[in-house]
Formats: sequence, C-alpha cells, structure tokens
Amino acid sequence: MTLLSQIIQYAISGITSGSIYAIVGICWSTVFLISGVMNFATGEFVMLGGMLTWVFFDAGLGLAYAVILAITCTVLIAILLERIVIRPVRYPTEMTYMLITIASASVIKGIILITCGSETRTVKPFIEIEPINILGATLIPQAIVVTGVLVIVTLGLLWFFNYTLFGKALRASSINQIAASLIGVDVSKFRLFCFGLAGALGALAGIVITPIAFTGYNIGLMAALKGLVVAIVGGWSIGGTVLAGLALGLVEGFVAGFISTGWKDALALSIMVLFLIFQTIDFSRRRRKIFP
Amino acid sequence: MKEDGRFKTNIPWLIFLTAIIVLPIIVRSNYIVSVMFFVAIYGMLSIGMGLLMGQAGLFSLAHPTWFGLGAYIPGILSARGIIPPLPGIFVGAICVALIAYIVGAPVLRLRGFYLACATFAIILIAQVVAAQLTNLTGGPEGLVGIPALSLGGFVFKTDLHFYYLSWAFCLGCYWFCSNLINSRIGCAMKSFHDSEVASQSIGVNVAKYKLQIFILTAVMASFAGSIFCFYLRFAVPDSFGFPLLVELLMMIIIGGVGHLRGPLTGTFVVLWLTELIHGYLGKIFPVMTSEVDAIFFGILIIIVLIFMPRGLTGWIDQLINLGRKLYDRFRGSTT
Repeated sequence: MTLLSQIIQYAISGITSGSIYAIVGICWSTVFLISGVMNFATGEFVMLGGMLTWVFFDAGLGLAYAVILAITCTVLIAILLERIVIRPVRYPTEMTYMLITIASASVIKGIILITCGSETRTVKPFIEIEPINILGATLIPQAIVVTGVLVIVTLGLLWFFNYTLFGKALRASSINQIAASLIGVDVSKFRLFCFGLAGALGALAGIVITPIAFTGYNIGLMAALKGLVVAIVGGWSIGGTVLAGLALGLVEGFVAGFISTGWKDALALSIMVLFLIFQTIDFSRRRRKIFP
Repeated sequence: MKEDGRFKTNIPWLIFLTAIIVLPIIVRSNYIVSVMFFVAIYGMLSIGMGLLMGQAGLFSLAHPTWFGLGAYIPGILSARGIIPPLPGIFVGAICVALIAYIVGAPVLRLRGFYLACATFAIILIAQVVAAQLTNLTGGPEGLVGIPALSLGGFVFKTDLHFYYLSWAFCLGCYWFCSNLINSRIGCAMKSFHDSEVASQSIGVNVAKYKLQIFILTAVMASFAGSIFCFYLRFAVPDSFGFPLLVELLMMIIIGGVGHLRGPLTGTFVVLWLTELIHGYLGKIFPVMTSEVDAIFFGILIIIVLIFMPRGLTGWIDQLINLGRKLYDRFRGSTT
C-alpha cells in the first residue's frame, strides 16, 4: 500500500465518521438552541437507532421497514423523554437538565443491555455493490450512503430553517423565547418538535453507521461526546457543525492511521477543552492596558 | 450564648462519631464493615463534590480523575519501590494538587455548562492516558504489585483497619469542610455562587477562591483514591471513569447539596440501596453489572430531581419544619 493510497483510505474513513459526528452535533444544537437543554441522551438516540434496527431486522422484517420502525420508535422515545422527564422539572437550570438527561441516558442504556444483551450487533449494508477501488484505496458503498445522508440532512435542514415558516419560527424562538411567545409562537410545542427531530436524526446516524462500525449497548457515550465536541467547536450552527464534524473526522482518521488508534478519543476531547479555554482568553486586554 | 449554640450543634455530631466508632464493635460482620468502608471512601469524594457544586456553584465533574490519580500515583511509586506507601499517599496528594492547579487555572475560567463539559472531557482523557501508558500504569489490565499499607510496624490488613483509617480521613474532611463553610472563604464562596459580578464588585477575588476550593476538593479525592488503592491493592483505568461519575452525581443529588451532610447521607443511602438491589434482584437478572444498577438509580435521580429538588436531606428538613408548624398551630388552638 503506497502512502497516497493510505492517505486516501484514512480520508475516506475520516469523512465517514466525520459525517456521523456532524449529524450528532446537529442533534445537540437543535435541542440546545430551542430549549436550552444539554441533552446527554443524544448518544442513546444513536445507539437506539442501530440496536432497534438490528432488533426489527432480526425479527424478520425487511431492512426498509426495520429502518422506518427504528426511527419511529426513537422519535417516540425522544418525545416521551421530553414529556415525562424534562418538562416536569420544577427548578429548571442548565445543571438540572444535564443531570436528568445523564440519568435518563443511563436508564435507556441499562434497559437495552437487559433486553438486547451486551454483544455487538450489525446489519447488512444498504446497497450491495462491489467496493470501489480508488488508487489502491477501497471505498465501501456504505460510506457513500453515510456521506449522502449527511448531505441530504444538511441541505434539508438548511432549507427547513431558512425557507419555511415553521423553521423560521423555530429560529426566532431560539434567539429569544419570550419575544417569540409574545408574537404567538407556541414555544413548548417547539421543544417537543426539537426533541423529536433530534431523535430522528440521531437514529438515522446510528442506523447508517451500523453496517460499518458495529453497534452495541455502550456506543452512546462516545457518540454523544463526539457530537458535543463538534457542536461546541462548530458554534452551534448547522454549517459550522458540519464543517467541524468533517474536520474532526479527518484529523481522527489520520491520527488513528498514522499514530495510534488508542489516542483517537482523547484527541477529540482535548480539542474541545483547548477550544473552550481558548475562547475565554480576552485578546483585547493587552490593548486596553496600553490605551486605558 | 455563642458557646451554648456551639454545644447544641455538636450533640448530633458526637452521637454520629460514637456510632461510627462503636459500630464495628457491636456488629461483628465483615460485610457491614466493608460496605461502611466504601461509604467513607465515596463520602470523601461526594463531600468534596457537594462543596464544589452546592456551596461554590462550580459544576466540576473531574472528581473521578483526582480519585484515580490519587490511586495511581502512590500505587506506581510504591509498586516500583520508590517511596513506601504511607509517604506515597502524601506525595500523591501534592502531585494531585499541582495537577489540579495546572488544570484548574485555565479551566475554571469557564462557566456553567462549559465547565462541566471541559471537566467531563478531562475524565475521559485521563482514562485514555491511563490505558495507553502501558509500561507506566499497566494499561487496561490494571496496576498490580502494590504493597500493603503500613504505619510504623503496624500493617493495615483487615477491613476493620481500613474502616477506621477511611472514617478518620472522611470525618476529618467533613469537619474541615464544615468549618470552611463558616469561614471567610465559605462566605466568599456563597457570595460568588449567588452572583459573581456582585461579589467581584465588593472585592472578592473570585478566581483565587475558585481555584483554592477546586484544589482542596481534588486533594480530598486524592486521599480517598489512595486509601481505595491500598485497600484493593489493584487499580484499573475503568474504575475511575463515567460510571463512578454517575454514582457520585447520584449520591449528591439524592442527598442534596444544601448542606454538607447531604452528600454523606446520599452516599450511605446509595451504597446500601445498591447492596439491597444486588441482594434481591441478583436472582432475577442474570447479569448484575453497574449498568443494570444504573436503571434503578437513573429512575431514582429523575424522581428526586423532579419531586424533591433539594434532595433527601432538604426534604426531611422541610418535613420537620412542617411538623413544627403544625405542632405550634395545634398548641396555639388548644390554649
């Protein structure tokens, strides 16, 4: 394997995982911007998507039905989460929301562990064509599916948020909830919608990645964290999140390929910590000292 | 008047102290003693975290890392024969304080949720580092060959020895923290918990106090980690990660962060509930891992956060107040 083909190979795997990070990052930002909830159960939506698809597929349903059923179930679970767990909180603070979603994430995880077992699962690839050879690197068809899903999701959401009345109202209520509710926007319904949307997107991400990377009951945490990193670095916007996701995927792909796979997870998190610290530095301070 | 007030508040404290000392003499059960040992160890962690969250309002989640570092540093030093175990504990605490300073100085500039994210990331980074530096830490298989803890000629061997050691440290931490809350630093903490801008404007050095309290709780966690490590004489990276964090959060939330006794109560309740769950449900579910416990405790956290946001101790205080009011009204109506 030459260096060039190696580079292409790592880039392909990086973009594939980067697409997933980007979708999960969008899940985080939709929920956070509308409701102010840091939803740590996002990773469990990803896990639920993959595991439920496997469950329905294993029960003898067709792949398409399994996918649709899995997404529907995850959306229902996300909506129930909002209704049962998040809405009744009496003294809502960022921290209460964070703790309560961490708790619900561990409940979901535990239930899946009991019902589906601790083995890793997989389903067959969605399109069955031969792997494509590019300069010695192999492009598996599922990678095209994953990237395609990212493109569709991004374009769809951009259209939705910019060109439909509902999407514009959502953006308005993310900017200022009180003002939005004053002009007749039902903000609490929007929260429900955003949880549903996050559930659907998370499940979609979990489903398309399942044929490549095996799914299991415990993939949720890492998926959630990668999504969080991407959402924070991307500045909570769709475009930024997608760019950050792809960049993180590429960096991780090269690090995993050329250095070591073990350090891959630490890399993403250190990027987030450094980014957050970097943001707190006030670069104008020095100038102010010179010109008081 | 002041002396009188002090004497009054000390009575429950003395009862508690005697109960802790007498408990292993009355109940000669190794099982109860070992569970109470873990209550003390986790109690030290949760008191520190409760102090950070409840009093200072710093949502730092890095406690499992300090716990792990407190276990690994003396563990490695004594397993290599560089420093004997007991001085190793203090060397470990100093190292942890230094690391907490280096980490805390930039990270504590973050606020609220972002602080939580950054410290959460630190836990996982530390775990990856511990698993990857195989020739130093033993990697994911764990650190082995840690010698027994000894003080002079006395070797800590049985659960009973560790019970007294851990409770001495735990009660020391509790006493220290409860004094701290009523001191100048405690008042400063309360003020910047309520409003950072306001406390800065009256001259409180918020950044300094934040860093001090952060390092202090890190050192407490490090002591807990050292004792834990010399008790098990074994350390794996997995025991200082996300599950430990969830357990700690559970203890703090269930106990309530309004007062220092909250986290300790929470620790007691959570650990004994875990034992009960394992005892009764072990027969029903084939695998009783920490993830299965997490179902029950997750539901418990949700219920506590929704129905009693001030935790178990806050709820009991409310009940007592209610009872007092009813009693007063009853007396008022009869006379």
